[in-house]
Amino acid sequence: MYQWLLVRKYLFSKIMPLLAALAVVLCTAMVLVTWSVMGGFLDMFIRSGRTVTGDVVISWPNVGFAYSDELVQKLQADPMVAAATPVIETYGLLGLPDGQQKMVIIRGIDPKTYSGVTSYNDILWWKPLTEPLEKDEKKEDPRLQSDLSEAMEFYERNGRALSRIDDVTGEEKPAVVLGIEVSGFNWRMEEGFYKPQQFVRHAPDGSETLVNGFLPRDGEVVISVLPLSRKGGVISQKSRRLPVANEFQSGLFEADEKVVFLRLDVLQEMLEMQQASRIVEGTTPAPAAEGEEGESFAYGEVQATVIDPARVTQVLVRGKGDLGTLGAARPLAARVEEIYAEFAAAHRGEVPGPGTIQIMTWEDQNRTMIAAVQKETGLLLFLFSLISLVAVFLVLAIFWSMIAEKTKDIGIMRALGAGRLGVAGVWVGYGLAIGVVGAVLGGVAAYFIVHNINPIHEWIGTITQKLTGDRILIWDPRIYYFSVIPNTVDPQKAAIVLIGGVLSSAIGAIVPAWRAAAMHPVRALRFE
Amino acid sequence: MPLLTVSNLYKTYRLGRVDVPVLRGVNLSVEEGEFVAILGSSGSGKSTLLHLVGGLDRPDKLPQGNIQFDGRSVTGFSNGQLDEYRRRDIGFVFQFYHLLPELTVLQNVTVAAMVRHGLGYTARSAKVSDDATTLLGHMGLSHRLEHRPAELSGGERQRVAIARSLINSPRVLLADEPTGNLDHVTGAKVLDMLLGIRRERSQTMLVVTHDQETAARADRIVRIADGIIQ
Repeated sequence: MYQWLLVRKYLFSKIMPLLAALAVVLCTAMVLVTWSVMGGFLDMFIRSGRTVTGDVVISWPNVGFAYSDELVQKLQADPMVAAATPVIETYGLLGLPDGQQKMVIIRGIDPKTYSGVTSYNDILWWKPLTEPLEKDEKKEDPRLQSDLSEAMEFYERNGRALSRIDDVTGEEKPAVVLGIEVSGFNWRMEEGFYKPQQFVRHAPDGSETLVNGFLPRDGEVVISVLPLSRKGGVISQKSRRLPVANEFQSGLFEADEKVVFLRLDVLQEMLEMQQASRIVEGTTPAPAAEGEEGESFAYGEVQATVIDPARVTQVLVRGKGDLGTLGAARPLAARVEEIYAEFAAAHRGEVPGPGTIQIMTWEDQNRTMIAAVQKETGLLLFLFSLISLVAVFLVLAIFWSMIAEKTKDIGIMRALGAGRLGVAGVWVGYGLAIGVVGAVLGGVAAYFIVHNINPIHEWIGTITQKLTGDRILIWDPRIYYFSVIPNTVDPQKAAIVLIGGVLSSAIGAIVPAWRAAAMHPVRALRFE
Repeated sequence: MPLLTVSNLYKTYRLGRVDVPVLRGVNLSVEEGEFVAILGSSGSGKSTLLHLVGGLDRPDKLPQGNIQFDGRSVTGFSNGQLDEYRRRDIGFVFQFYHLLPELTVLQNVTVAAMVRHGLGYTARSAKVSDDATTLLGHMGLSHRLEHRPAELSGGERQRVAIARSLINSPRVLLADEPTGNLDHVTGAKVLDMLLGIRRERSQTMLVVTHDQETAARADRIVRIADGIIQ
């Protein structure tokens, strides 16, 4: 009881303990702000990671596998599955209007079903915008311009259909949708939007042409791919000039810099993965009969026509409910494995077996990048926690000197019959009280900072621009890819940090408390 | 049978490399309700004797001395038992009052009961508060309950210290130069107060002093010089 009374009295009677509390406030706020921002960054990253892959991916790269329509049907019949779509993914070369050749990932999709599994329609960049981006106060985003709204609607429509309607002939041509960073013609502004740039094309004869870098209007690219036979042998390079329908921004830089969308049927044809018939030569001892599905034999003939079903390299699956948290897609992946096993059993020898096919969650697919952000977050937290040890030592130093000042009080309490543990309890309790005050105030400060981190960031930029002429931009959307800094505090993280703050203060008080407990009562009473 | 018996008590302090004997075979007994004054000059060992009797310090192990309190050997007490002994049976009054500066007058008194009762204080807090208020009222400090020690005179502070020493109704009150820091008139008033308490409560008191006048008002005077009872 007396411990509580003394803690209360000591807490607000001196400046020094308030300095210790201030150290706890700063350290708690620092760690919580860091964790909240980095955690928010990771959440944004995770959300972006699913925008182009769905929840689970069944994958057999390069050669691909057949009967994907049947697999999609089986998957969609399952109560855990919301939608599924076939995809072909391959590496290819992209020839841009300025002559540069880029290695890209070409993803052949059926836009309708693909948008049911992913956020494809949402990530198309060039579309009419009614509200400006959060930092675009001057409303300079080209998508906001009213005179471009019709054109933007046209680009959006083209993007959704992965085609472009010819202005002259009215013909609908297959087209590509590029990641917004693929061409390098779009400059990302501080406000987070893109401005397409003009560039000069140098011809071999020395002439120069000014080219508009806004490709969805009339730009064309050349896609080159290398088809493989069913057994993996190289057939021959195929190239095709295609108009650009739109561009997309998924929020995942890897995708936005490397991925090009193309219609599934077009890519299937280029890669020779479409349904095709072929003639097989040989002898057959069998009498004329109805053959297996897709095959026909004529009695006595030594040639047979075989239909090769169309192939895809991936089937993407979206589960029911929100599977956007780490580990949430794992049960769906397990169910997909079961469904695939049934499918493979029905097509034994024609599709990869259940043990060899790759079935991954979106988390597995982005594991390298998620792990990198997690490691960075962990490293930052570790560093800031180390810095927070300063608070522990500050509490220790302040308490050490306070105990010297309060030596006589300790002697008095011992004379009244207080035991060593009781006296130690006063100082540990005092440390806890300072920790509670510091951690709570630190938590409030962190909440205020994180909640207002974007206005604060803006304010710092404005002030520094006024004072120095240079605007300090810590969170530059041109680099970090998200136009705003994550600004939510996770209550669970807050609780962990606050408890840590209280404990660190109590730990800092333990050594001085032991010193107080070890004091000889007579010497303490005689202390001057 | 005496309430308190001290026999063959030695205490030596070590100052650097030198052993300084302070008590050299002290023998003393105090009856219940008796007011004994220990008279001695500065450095004679009287305060050390009081600290040993009050369980604030331990005597030398050799030669083996003993402090008997109500039939129990205080010298054989563990640290915890010594704490309990101070809480229950002993009340201290010091020359320099030794009040806690952050606490009010009332809290300086009740804190001793908080130490005495621990968690059980909550149930007794109202009664303790009433008792402390009454005690302080007897000391003429009713108007000072919410004041801090820094706002009191020396005499008032010593009266608060006396009230604190009595709040747990100890068997023995040990006072170390209780008037030593006060002027003559105030000192006399404080002494009158102690004598009044002794009369009302039959309080056993062991008062250390170098003042002949103070000692003269005790039931018995014990003189100490160079660590030996004369």
